[in-house]
Amino acid sequence: MATPTASAVPAAPPSLSLPPSQFARLQPHAYLLAHLSPPPASNQPSIRANGRAPAQFRVTSANSGSLTHTNGSAVVRVGDTTAVCGVRAEILHTDDIASWSVSQASSGNTHKRRRLGDLGGKPTEESDDTYADAQDDEDRAHIQDLNLLVPNLSLSTGCAPGFTPGAPPSSLAQSLSHQILSLLHTSRLVRADDLRIWYQPPNLGREDLERHNEDEAMDVDAGPGAAGLSKPREIKAFWVLYIDVMIISLAGNPFDAAWASVLAALRDTKLPKAWWDIDNETILCSDDVSQARKLSLRGFPIASSFCVFDADAAAAYRAVVIPKADEPKRRGFKQTWILADPDGYEEGLSQERACLVVDKESNGQGKTVIVKMEKHGGWIIDTEDLRQLVSMSAQRWDEMKQILEQC
Amino acid sequence: MSNPRQASSASQTPHLSPAELSYLYTSLSLPKGPIRPDGRSPTQFRPLTAETDILPGTNGSARIGFADGTQAIVGVKAEVEKTVLASDILQQDVENDLQAPSDRRDGAESTPSAAAGGHGSWVQMSIEIPGFRDDDALPVFLSEMMRESLVGSVTDAGKGRDTEMAGGLKGRLVINKRWHWRLYIDVLLLSQPLSYPLPLLSLTTHLALLSTKLPKLKSQGEEDPFFDDDWGVAEHLYPRPSPSASATSSQIRPPVTLLVISVGDNVIFDPNREEISVADAVLAISITRNSEGQGLKLLSIRTIDPPSRLTQPGVPNSENLSTMAATGNSDNAAAANPSAGQEEVPGVWRPRRGGIKRSVITELTRTVLKKGGVGEEVLEGLEGVEV
Amino acid sequence: MNDRRRVNGPPGGTRPPVFQSGLQSSNPSDRPRRQRQPAELRKIFLKTGLIPSASGSAYLEFEPSASLAANRSNPKSMIPPSSALKLTCTVHGPKPLPRSAAYSPNLVLTTHVKYAPFAARRRKGHVRDSSERDLGVHLETALRGAIIAERWPKSGLDITITILEAEDDRWWGEPPDSHDASWGIMNVLAGCITAASAAIADARIDCLDLVAGGVAAITEDVGASHSGSGRLMLDTDPAEHASILSACVVAYMPARDEITELWLKGDSSKAVLDDGDSRQGHDALIDGAVDAARGSYSVLSEAVKESILNAVAHA
Repeated sequence: MATPTASAVPAAPPSLSLPPSQFARLQPHAYLLAHLSPPPASNQPSIRANGRAPAQFRVTSANSGSLTHTNGSAVVRVGDTTAVCGVRAEILHTDDIASWSVSQASSGNTHKRRRLGDLGGKPTEESDDTYADAQDDEDRAHIQDLNLLVPNLSLSTGCAPGFTPGAPPSSLAQSLSHQILSLLHTSRLVRADDLRIWYQPPNLGREDLERHNEDEAMDVDAGPGAAGLSKPREIKAFWVLYIDVMIISLAGNPFDAAWASVLAALRDTKLPKAWWDIDNETILCSDDVSQARKLSLRGFPIASSFCVFDADAAAAYRAVVIPKADEPKRRGFKQTWILADPDGYEEGLSQERACLVVDKESNGQGKTVIVKMEKHGGWIIDTEDLRQLVSMSAQRWDEMKQILEQC
Repeated sequence: MSNPRQASSASQTPHLSPAELSYLYTSLSLPKGPIRPDGRSPTQFRPLTAETDILPGTNGSARIGFADGTQAIVGVKAEVEKTVLASDILQQDVENDLQAPSDRRDGAESTPSAAAGGHGSWVQMSIEIPGFRDDDALPVFLSEMMRESLVGSVTDAGKGRDTEMAGGLKGRLVINKRWHWRLYIDVLLLSQPLSYPLPLLSLTTHLALLSTKLPKLKSQGEEDPFFDDDWGVAEHLYPRPSPSASATSSQIRPPVTLLVISVGDNVIFDPNREEISVADAVLAISITRNSEGQGLKLLSIRTIDPPSRLTQPGVPNSENLSTMAATGNSDNAAAANPSAGQEEVPGVWRPRRGGIKRSVITELTRTVLKKGGVGEEVLEGLEGVEV
Repeated sequence: MNDRRRVNGPPGGTRPPVFQSGLQSSNPSDRPRRQRQPAELRKIFLKTGLIPSASGSAYLEFEPSASLAANRSNPKSMIPPSSALKLTCTVHGPKPLPRSAAYSPNLVLTTHVKYAPFAARRRKGHVRDSSERDLGVHLETALRGAIIAERWPKSGLDITITILEAEDDRWWGEPPDSHDASWGIMNVLAGCITAASAAIADARIDCLDLVAGGVAAITEDVGASHSGSGRLMLDTDPAEHASILSACVVAYMPARDEITELWLKGDSSKAVLDDGDSRQGHDALIDGAVDAARGSYSVLSEAVKESILNAVAHA
């Protein structure tokens, strides 16, 4: 491909001049390429068609807690992509779980074994690290097996012309829902302990039998068996978090915005104090805000997506040949660009995508941890690039943390 | 998205040419009173045949046929169902405190705020129209419209009195605190609708409800209900005037929804397909007898999207390129057309635009509600049907 | 009924939390009070053009009621006292009809109203229910009267509304079965109409006039004498009124003084009007709703003006 001569209207035959906006539509690839590789003489920096530097993310803003009927909610705008997330908590009685009595017995055993330390190396900010680690298996068992986290993402909001409202979720929406679900599971963001509603059966025969309701209301934070009473306390119910994300406006990179809104909404989520009421044989909640608890989340994973723009427009159509190892690096004449936080226009022009979810230990002071790394559809990103992407994601983490903590 | 056209509630788009539409509009909007294609007066209904209790397997049923061959059948089934309150379990202790009411109506009065009021969801209505899926806009809209007036017709004035219908239909469905009737109203249109099917369906539903009987309750108070298996002593859902009873209780009747259109300054009832296709405005007005037995009560009004908005416009001669040849004139006309398209050329059909003037609405409702007006006429006609 | 295309919750189903305070018969004095005059409307926030990928868009938000605002700034209860409408509307089109569609001489309007699952006190399903479909039909009727449809033959216009927060049908503290009339849906419809009109104008679709939605209701106060105390209120928040006898929503075009959509339900006969006012209850109710619509029209025209100025500035 010839090097374009002008950045605004490059490679256009002189007989036909088009305004940039039309050129962008007719020749999107050439248009973006012209922006990214300005003629050396012009001394212009390589810049994207949307005015950002290749490593630059879009302006992000967030706002939480504005929806009345949710336990937690957030709106995150990343450029022109807007995601609204609402978290609704409902109660799952253990009576309603088909296999509860069976699984409970086995999980009780794991509990007693208290395997210490063998799950080390996982980032936890807990002071009682070992205890938390021992809980990991059970966390996973409860949250994943019982489906306590139910994220769903909807694109049928008129967010972009391609999605018919009223139709079943598109494959993109389904895939995003599942990505969020699996990230919630693998990042272990929500602690199962926050979702359990315990019941301490009263020690019958005591004189305070009448008052068991008030006095022995469950203290969820206390460790199991801490009370040392004759009867072991039992789980009566779980909170189920319905996490619904509505993409209100879609202009590329929905996952970053959706995940940020999920994270912000979960940070905003408050669960009311709940206990097993023996008279009514049901779970009751207190509507007192001062008794409600916030979720204590593990870590602060932030997603950053990238796409690769290849100067060779036809690359994708060529027969796939595994590049030879000895092939000289093409970096001399830069033909590919890694673009951070692609907008819809750029997404349409690239085949190769990468998504990194990173977290930083000890509240941003420690080292960067990769929570999830996903890359598909091309040959361009190599180990060196990946290292660079991780550091870019780490920078983005600082930025996003500040935004989400202020909202 | 599958079939965008059906989304418009009133229609089938009419298959009349712009010239026919224009002619029809002119004759219906004549200032001295409309001339209707079938020669009816503006308030006259189409002749119909009606019969009730046609389906032995139902609690009540009716069939109405119009002369044009469209027929509707409505079947009403009632089932006993346990009342589930959101806080069901939690209310039990409250209940124990109350003395067990000896009669369901007394019970209803002692806790007027609790389940006694009944619940609108106990009335389920499904409408089947050939050529439509049940979740298409037209059936959904029609069933919401008819259900709304059914469950909404609460006679608050009956609060103090000991009538069976205190609380309207919803209240009637309460058996006791824990049990209630669930009413399934299934409306079947037997042929493709030739006109907007609302009046037909509404009249048929009215008759079916009038003929609906519920078995006589044998149990007392808060017991689990059991019923007399003698169908002969079954009670009507809408109580009948017994010869001894006063006139007031005789008048409680299911609501009726009337379809009214305005064309020009004229108000026309029970429009047929051609008439509705030139209507400026279409309203569905639900009425019922007042609980005092005199006068009518307005239950609901809904606008219906007039199909005239979807019609093909006629082309005035001045803009017709084929008769004018392509002279310089046509350039002007074409240029002027987009903005000047508003102006009405007599005799040239324009799809109706805009809404209804408030004065027209007032006029419409007045015609329906006034003493001796169309509403009373219709209800009297229905009362004449042997059920 | 397992929806394989969504993430499903626990197969046994879950229950919404039951609050202890909801068990005791709640104190009627806790009910949020209407702080506005009978003819005073809530403030409306309306902004167009927030969704660049659509041809036109609008975001609408009602001002939270005094009680809700108080609970927001100084949260005491997990149960929100009332709620305030929030919705977004997008317009896509005019665009060519799909090849399979029949010929249409006019612009084919498709309206779609969907509640977000977290929009109401009770969680909504992902599939549209009948009330949402019903809303769509009402909205379509309201808009079709205003759009000059024959200027776009063979074209379609998709209007999609996502309701992020709906209005309550009644006060939460009322016994769950006290009444089930869905009054809140009328406020939602009025908001939908106003927002959709702004979005259509933002998409530069020719209309006869802007259509504004307005709600009026005849309410009865608790404790007042039982009959003949119906008062006409504009822009009612159902949570603030113990008993709404009748309500009406209109879509109104002020320039032509015409109503494109009217939905009135309930018993309007008990309205008590000023002396010398000889109108029937329902006429007064419709006039009230029109007044409310005039109020939202002023907001609507401001928002549309802003949209046009923006477009001019960018051109």
